[in-house]
Amino acid sequence: MQRASRLRRELHLLTTEPPPGITCWQNESGLDHLRAQILGSADTPYEKGVFDLEVLVPLRYPFEPPKMRFLTPIYHPNIDSSGRICLDVLRLPPKGAWRPSLNIATLLTSIQLLMNEPNPDDPLMADISSEYKYNKQAFLRNARQWTEKYACQTTMFQTSKTPDEEKHQTEANPLRDSNISQKRKGSNISRFSKKLCSET
Amino acid sequence: MENSDSSNKGSTDQSEAQRRSQLDRLDREEAFYHFVNNLSEEDYRLMRDNNLLGTPGEITEEELLRRLQQIKEGPPQQSSEDSRAGAESTEDVSNGDSIIDWLNSVRQTGNTTRSGQRGNQSWRAVSRTNPNSGDFRFSLEINVNRSNGNPNPETEAEPSVEPSSGEDLENNQSDTETPRSESPPVVRQSGSEMSPPEEVNEEAFPQRGQRRSRSRSPEQRRTRARTDRSRSPLNPVSEPPRRTHHNTSPPMPDVSPAIEAEGSSRTRQHMVIRQHATTSEMPSENAVLLSAAEARPAPQAVASAETNGNTETTPSGQRPPTIVLDLQVRRVRPGEYRQRDSIANRTRSRSQTPNNTVTYESERGGFRRTFSRSERAGVRTYVSTIRIPIRRILNTGLSETTSVAIQTMLRQIMTGFGELSYFMYSDSDADPGGPAPNPNVEMTEPPSGNSSSSNEVPDPGSGESYESNNEVGAVAGTRREGRNARGSVTFEESGSLPFLSLAQFFLLNEEDDDQPRGLTKEQIDNLAMRNFGESDALKTCSVCITEYTEGNKLRKLPCSHEYHVHCIDRWLSENSTCPICRRAVLASSNRESVV
Repeated sequence: MQRASRLRRELHLLTTEPPPGITCWQNESGLDHLRAQILGSADTPYEKGVFDLEVLVPLRYPFEPPKMRFLTPIYHPNIDSSGRICLDVLRLPPKGAWRPSLNIATLLTSIQLLMNEPNPDDPLMADISSEYKYNKQAFLRNARQWTEKYACQTTMFQTSKTPDEEKHQTEANPLRDSNISQKRKGSNISRFSKKLCSET
Repeated sequence: MENSDSSNKGSTDQSEAQRRSQLDRLDREEAFYHFVNNLSEEDYRLMRDNNLLGTPGEITEEELLRRLQQIKEGPPQQSSEDSRAGAESTEDVSNGDSIIDWLNSVRQTGNTTRSGQRGNQSWRAVSRTNPNSGDFRFSLEINVNRSNGNPNPETEAEPSVEPSSGEDLENNQSDTETPRSESPPVVRQSGSEMSPPEEVNEEAFPQRGQRRSRSRSPEQRRTRARTDRSRSPLNPVSEPPRRTHHNTSPPMPDVSPAIEAEGSSRTRQHMVIRQHATTSEMPSENAVLLSAAEARPAPQAVASAETNGNTETTPSGQRPPTIVLDLQVRRVRPGEYRQRDSIANRTRSRSQTPNNTVTYESERGGFRRTFSRSERAGVRTYVSTIRIPIRRILNTGLSETTSVAIQTMLRQIMTGFGELSYFMYSDSDADPGGPAPNPNVEMTEPPSGNSSSSNEVPDPGSGESYESNNEVGAVAGTRREGRNARGSVTFEESGSLPFLSLAQFFLLNEEDDDQPRGLTKEQIDNLAMRNFGESDALKTCSVCITEYTEGNKLRKLPCSHEYHVHCIDRWLSENSTCPICRRAVLASSNRESVV
C-alpha cells in the first residue's frame, strides 16, 4: 500500500547509510527492480567475493516480502543453483517471518548473516549441506573456489573499494551478468563436475 | 534514485518522466493519507470493508471522496435494477437480485435475519458471522408460491419412483453399493460421513478417519451422484464431460500428499471434528424445515410443474416447495486447505484450463461447486469447494422451474464467489445421508457447450435441471449485472463483486502453501484506536516508515505497538501477528503464532 513512498525512503536510507558490506540501488528498469551487492565477510569462504543479488519489490510490498535472488553463483547450503535463498524472513508467515517492519536493508543484512552462518539443518542444497556438516574442510574449499571463480572475477584487482566504485564497475561490465547467466544455465552440470572434482 | 539516474544518462528523458510520475504518485499518497485521516471512523470502516480505499498514490482524493459518497448513498441496488432491465430478465434473476441486495447488507451488518418477497417467491435468510473464526454462514429458505412460468423445454423423464424420505437412507447405501463399473469399488464404510458410528470412530482416530473422509469421500460422492444418475435417464450430452473428469483425475497420485498433509496439526483435526459437527447438526435442521413445509398447503406448485412440460406426472396435492440453502463460508486454513484439497478436487482442477475454472458437480440433494484457479500457468492450483444442499421438501411437488429459479440464484451467488480473485472455502452442510435425494436435480445436465459462452463457468457436472441456453443467458445477465454494479462503485481492483466484498477477509495469499490467515474485520475493529496527538513523541509507523502526524489514526495492538490504522488493518487482514514483535494479536491464535 505504502509502497512508493516507503521504497523511496528505503532507497534513500540505503544510499545514505547502507549497512556495512551491502549496497543496493535501483535498476534502470524501474522503481521495483533493485540490485544489491553483498560483500563476503572476512573469515568466511566468501571473503573478497562480491555477490550480486536481484531484488524485486512486489506490488503488495511491504505486506509481502521482496523477492531476493543471488545472481552470482554461490556455494552455500541454503542457496540453490538458481540463486534462490532459503531464509525465513523472505517468506510470509506463518511459514516465514516476513513482516512489514522489516525492510530491504534488514533483509540484505540477514542474507549476509546467512552467508556467514549457513543453516545446514534447513538445507536447500542437500549435498552442500551434508558436506558442510560432515566435511567442513571440503565445503570451505569448494565455497572458496566458487567465490574465486564467480564472485571475484572483476574485483580481483580492486583492493579497497567504495560501494560507488563497485556499482559503476558492475554496470560497466554488462557482459558479466550474461556470463553468469550462461553459467547458471549449465549450473547443474557444473555442480556435478564440481562434485566430481571435490571427490577426486 | 539518484544512482539510477547517474548510471542512466542515456535515458534521462525516461527517468525524468518516471520521476515526475513518481512525484505525482507521492502527491496522491499524501492526499490519500490526508483523506484517510479525515474520515470518520464509520466512514473509514465503510470504505475499507467495501474495498474502496485502493492503493495510496493511485487514486486521487476526489475519486476517494466520490466513492465514499457513492457508497454512502446506498449500495448498488439502483444499478442492479437498471442492469437487470438490460439483462434477460427472468423471474429467477430478479429473485437473485433480492438475495444479492440482501447479501449487500450482510457484509455491513454481520448477523442479520432478513426476509422478503420478490415476485412469487418469499425468502427468509439468516446470516451469522463468527467474529472469532471469521466464519460466515447464512441460511436461506425460499418458498415458491406459484410458478414463475419459466419454460423449461428440456424434457425430462422423471424416475417414477422417488424415494420417500424415510427410505432414503437405505437408498443412499444401496447407491454406494452399486457403483458403476468404472469407479473404484467404493467401500461402504467410506460413507463415513453419514453413519454415526463411523463418525465416532473418526473422532477417536482422527488421523485415520480424516484420511478416509478426505481421500475417499469425494470419490464416493461422485459415485453416488453417478449412480443416482444411472437410475434416472441421463442427458447423454453431459455424460462425456463427467467421464472425462473422472478419467483425467486418477485418484492415486495425490494420495501421498494427502497423507503427508496429515502431518497432524492440531488445527486440522479440529477442523475435521467440526466438519462432522456441522454435518450432523444439519439433518435435524432440515428436518425441522421439512416438517414445517409440509404443514403448508400449496396448490400453486402444480402450475409450475405443468408449465415446464415435464414428463413428470403432475404432482397432485403438493405442498409449497421450500428450498433451503445453507451456505457456510469459512476462511481456508492451511491444514484445512490440504484437507479439502482432496484427490478428486485437485485432480479435477488440473484437468481444467489454467484459468479460473468453475465446476459444478451434482450431488445428492444438492450440488456442489468447485472452483479453482491455477496461477502462473498451472504452477499451483487452489481448489475450493462450495457445496450447497438444496433440499426438495416434496418428493414430487417441486417444479422444474422452481429449481431453475433457485439454482440460477444460487449460481449467481456462487458465480460471484467464483469471480473473486480470492479463494475461499465454504463448508458444506450437506447431509449426505439426508433424505430426499433429488432426481430432479441430479438428472439433467447442461451440455458442456455451456462453458464457452459463460466464460469460465463450465458446467460439466452440474445436475441442474434447466434449459441450458436460457440458463446461460441468465447467468450471463447476472454477470453483466454484477459488472455493472461493480462499475457503479468503480472498483479498481477487478474481480470483486460488490456484494461479495466481505470476502476480502477471506483473502488468501497466493504465494504460499501455508496460507497466512488474518483477522476478521470484527476482530480488527475491536482493537484499540486513537488519534495521534501533538503531544506525542515523534514516532514512525513501521509499516510505511512514515512519521505520524497530528490527527493520524493509530491502532494499538495488544503488544502496545502502534501503526497507522490503514497500514495495520491491511496487514492484519492477512496476518495475525504484530509486525514488530510478531506476537499474536489475538490470544486465541497463540498456538499458531510463529516461533
